[in-house]
Amino acid sequence: MSVGVIASWQSAFRTSHPDKTFIEQAQEAAVGALKAAKMTPDDIDAIVFSLAPTFFMGVADADHWAVDAIFGAGKPIFRVHTGGATGGSVVHAAYALVESGMARTVLMVGAERIAETPDAQKVLNLIFDAFYERDMPLSTNTSVALAMSRYMQMHGVTEEDFAQTVVRHRRNAMKNPHAHLKGEITIDDVMKSPAIALPLKLFDICPRSSGSAAMIIGDTASLKRYQTRPAFINGLSGLSDTYWIGDRITPISRTDWSSFRLPEYVSRRCFEMAGISDPFKQIQVAEFYDPYSCQAYMQLEADGFCAPGTAARLDREGAWDVDGGAVAVCPSGGTLCTNPIAVTGLVRAIDAASQIMGTAGKMQVKNVRNALATASGGIGQFHCMTVFGAEPVHN
Amino acid sequence: MSIYVVGVAAHPATVVEKRYRLEEMVFRVSRAALENAGVSRGQVDHVTLGACDELDGRPISSMLMAAPAGGFMTDEMKVTDSGLMALCLGMARLMTGEFGLGLVSSWCKSSKTDIDPVMRLRGEPFLSRPIGIDGTVADGLFSQAVGMEFGIEEEEASRRAAAALRRAASNERALGHSALEAAAIQASPYVATPLRDLQRAPASDGAATMVLASERFLRNNPHVKPLARLTGVGWSIDSYQMGASRLRSLASFRDAWGRALTMANISLEMLDVIELESPTGWHEAAAVRALGIDDDRISPSGGTFAQNPLVCTGLIGAVEAVLQVSGQAGAVQRAGARRAAAHSCHGFAQQGNVVACFESVGGQTA
Repeated sequence: MSVGVIASWQSAFRTSHPDKTFIEQAQEAAVGALKAAKMTPDDIDAIVFSLAPTFFMGVADADHWAVDAIFGAGKPIFRVHTGGATGGSVVHAAYALVESGMARTVLMVGAERIAETPDAQKVLNLIFDAFYERDMPLSTNTSVALAMSRYMQMHGVTEEDFAQTVVRHRRNAMKNPHAHLKGEITIDDVMKSPAIALPLKLFDICPRSSGSAAMIIGDTASLKRYQTRPAFINGLSGLSDTYWIGDRITPISRTDWSSFRLPEYVSRRCFEMAGISDPFKQIQVAEFYDPYSCQAYMQLEADGFCAPGTAARLDREGAWDVDGGAVAVCPSGGTLCTNPIAVTGLVRAIDAASQIMGTAGKMQVKNVRNALATASGGIGQFHCMTVFGAEPVHN
Repeated sequence: MSIYVVGVAAHPATVVEKRYRLEEMVFRVSRAALENAGVSRGQVDHVTLGACDELDGRPISSMLMAAPAGGFMTDEMKVTDSGLMALCLGMARLMTGEFGLGLVSSWCKSSKTDIDPVMRLRGEPFLSRPIGIDGTVADGLFSQAVGMEFGIEEEEASRRAAAALRRAASNERALGHSALEAAAIQASPYVATPLRDLQRAPASDGAATMVLASERFLRNNPHVKPLARLTGVGWSIDSYQMGASRLRSLASFRDAWGRALTMANISLEMLDVIELESPTGWHEAAAVRALGIDDDRISPSGGTFAQNPLVCTGLIGAVEAVLQVSGQAGAVQRAGARRAAAHSCHGFAQQGNVVACFESVGGQTA
């Protein structure tokens, strides 16, 4: 069976949406995707709800609250929550429902309202172990800063190198009507932005975004009925690493946190499933989950687009540019410009699939045959990848 | 494609687990399930968790819990409604043909959780929360509605709670609550009219893990013997609004059962055992009427009154169902049980329902 994307929708993302409630945001996304697909709620067999920690919003199990708004009453629906990886896991769960034959069509929908909490970082600080790690103090920022420092030391990469990514992503985001942060900035702007956890500075870090997104996938028959140019889901893979960051930096670690090696295992399996043997040559668009400026390079290297330590040099040569590059890295501006945690992974998938379907608007990259989307959660503990293709590799 | 249950384990029923931390409980249970299946953790290629951040008391609780549950360098996902929902997703993933051996794990240390505030946090902030809706009030509204719909009297709800406690008293895997007479339950105070305190199943600490395998895995690992076949699953949800028509209809309850039975290609009459998640005696009274089933097939284990680790209860019911069709249910074994189903509910006033059907693989039924 071939499983593919029928349609999708995403909101404009910004710090908050005071004009809408959570369920109105979710409804807007569900309606948007249904309209784009020319489907009605009755055409949807099942729903997977994309919602990460509800502590950000203050309504537990908010997916239950949204049931009526997303036309879910009387349907099979469940929520997936794998932290920041949630949206990516949602795609995998929905795929399982279709591929297994349990559903012909699945609506994935979710919303993020992170600005309801005055400081999301305080919520995120609670994800760390209460006995050993929380008091260090580890936070999402400090833990990534540690990895970034080690990566810089290992490969001779500089803060200015990472700043290139920020400049490129913000420029790409200018063509993305949904992006939260966008604009022409310089490496100097990044370098002069306030220090957060050195070497991370403010511009090296994603914003806290609110908004909603939805995507509909279907089986072979549904694709024939509703979409003439689907994005086929050709590869999926996900892995869960150890909780303990200390166990990811020892000489005998299975994965190396400083180089973000978990994606290496994930991509190997995913590419095999999708029939990708040389990602540099076969994948035209990579929508990485990269909330920090260092994480695109790390994933490019872990995924085999280039050798370890070479992503920055290739960036200087323009390899990751949308125009004229070998692989368009985050033509949407990526997570660095927009991070609505509950749906970030889903947005990555939407942006990748749209490139295949030719619906990416001003972000459209020419001649895209394969595009990937990743999602990470729990300080890189959970990582998943989806490869979309213009042609199905599984019939 | 057939999916098989090859191992099960549940933490010994406990009101307050003081010996082990939550992650130790779950590690022990998943390890026991793997041993029960005769497989190693390294053979597991995916893990599906059913747990609730708010009840676990930390954001993204699967970060801490995934590895103890068996998920290290494996594909892992968490659903938040019910452990039985995790079983549904675990089954779907195996049916894609891309996985061979999976763990489904669920838990809750209810004793470490201030349950009422968590339930109040589930109320939307505009109407439900200001008027004080919580789990107890929602169950009271449900009891009132199904009482009117089906003519259920308070005494019946008390009688059913007493009967469930009696059945649980025979189950070595149950909490060991004292059996109570219906009159004593009926004399307990109202908590949300017409619901009385002792008509409710008390929350407890617990964890359960089930090992699922594909046909291909079993062919390649002939030493692994299935306990049961997982033949069908179904789930559905009702409106969030607790209007009388929604509460009376049991629409998602009926829908989930219909979907599971259709997938299993069986009728309700063919089930020998039905393990219901009944948070109160009212729920069971409504369920037997909605399904049109006899009492003698309902929850031989004592069901929710045997143990009730929130979110996890449905998966424990599934463990009991598997033990029944594999002839290993001990003192509560139903002779000749070939087909059994487990049910779970979640959300305010049973908003969502989940059902899983199991079948004997032959030769092991008592």
